[in-house]
Amino acid sequence: MAGPGSSPCASCKLLRRRCAKDCIFAPYFPPDDPHKFAIVHKVFGASNVSKMLQELPVHQRADAVNSLVFEANARVRDPVYGCVGAISYLQNQVSQLQMQLAVAQAEILCIQMQNEPTLQSHHHVLELDQDHKALLLQNNNNNINNCSNNNNNNNNNLGYAMSSGQFNSNFASPSSIMQMQMQMQMQDPLKQESLWT
Amino acid sequence: MNPKRCAACKYLRRRCPKDCIFAPYFPPNDPAKFACIHRIYGAGNVSKMLQQLPEQTRAEAVESLCFEAKCRVDDPVYGCVGIIHLLQTQIQNAQNELAKTQAEVAVAQTNLSQTQNSDF
Repeated sequence: MAGPGSSPCASCKLLRRRCAKDCIFAPYFPPDDPHKFAIVHKVFGASNVSKMLQELPVHQRADAVNSLVFEANARVRDPVYGCVGAISYLQNQVSQLQMQLAVAQAEILCIQMQNEPTLQSHHHVLELDQDHKALLLQNNNNNINNCSNNNNNNNNNLGYAMSSGQFNSNFASPSSIMQMQMQMQMQDPLKQESLWT
Repeated sequence: MNPKRCAACKYLRRRCPKDCIFAPYFPPNDPAKFACIHRIYGAGNVSKMLQQLPEQTRAEAVESLCFEAKCRVDDPVYGCVGIIHLLQTQIQNAQNELAKTQAEVAVAQTNLSQTQNSDF
């Protein structure tokens, strides 16, 4: 056991083995949360987790464990898509927001063009812009209605989305998600700060 | 040995049975795919996961497992959770930008209607 008076960590309890003083799991799997290790062991396996932790510097292991727990939970909730389902859902949200943003920016441009005094003398140009504006706003309103209908059925809270399983219907092809991953990593390296603070 | 062993059985150096659970998803011409998934999840865990799924969903499950395994190899600390965090940040930024832009639209519309009223 870990020591006189101290109970074994959750992993050694589950694996029914002696919890050594330098047990690699002990700092991250306390005995009062057996579910945490159970789910990671179910998806990844204790030996794989041990290998992964051994390859990491000590100060990064807590974050690694938390991300493994997150992925394992996602996989248990959604055995087919796991975290990829959540990624697809969020990617869809980003696209919708970017579309709404483009619509709003186009609307500002239209209004600014109407406000421009130089355009008053070119009446036919203003009419053309108004026609285009009407067409643009009609299309934009359709897009906004579609976006708001979709958003009403969605929820920005990842936990809620994962538990309700709504992101499954928006699964993009894995290859497109992998391409997106490479683009995002080039644009925004974010690995410096902890995700869990 | 059967020369047409799937990538999994080749990697595991075993006979590839006719009903091998890995064979439909790990063709022999792509050994890296199974190697990556085995490194993170282990063949036994992948086999168990696939056995618990209906056959028509197994291909998607394998692809998502491969993607997550690759993310974990590329980023051993955060894996694909890093991508989720990045997307959440993008969503937050886009929402802030959208709110700001929609406020600007409201102001611009107010200014326009005031200008039009003063013209009359």
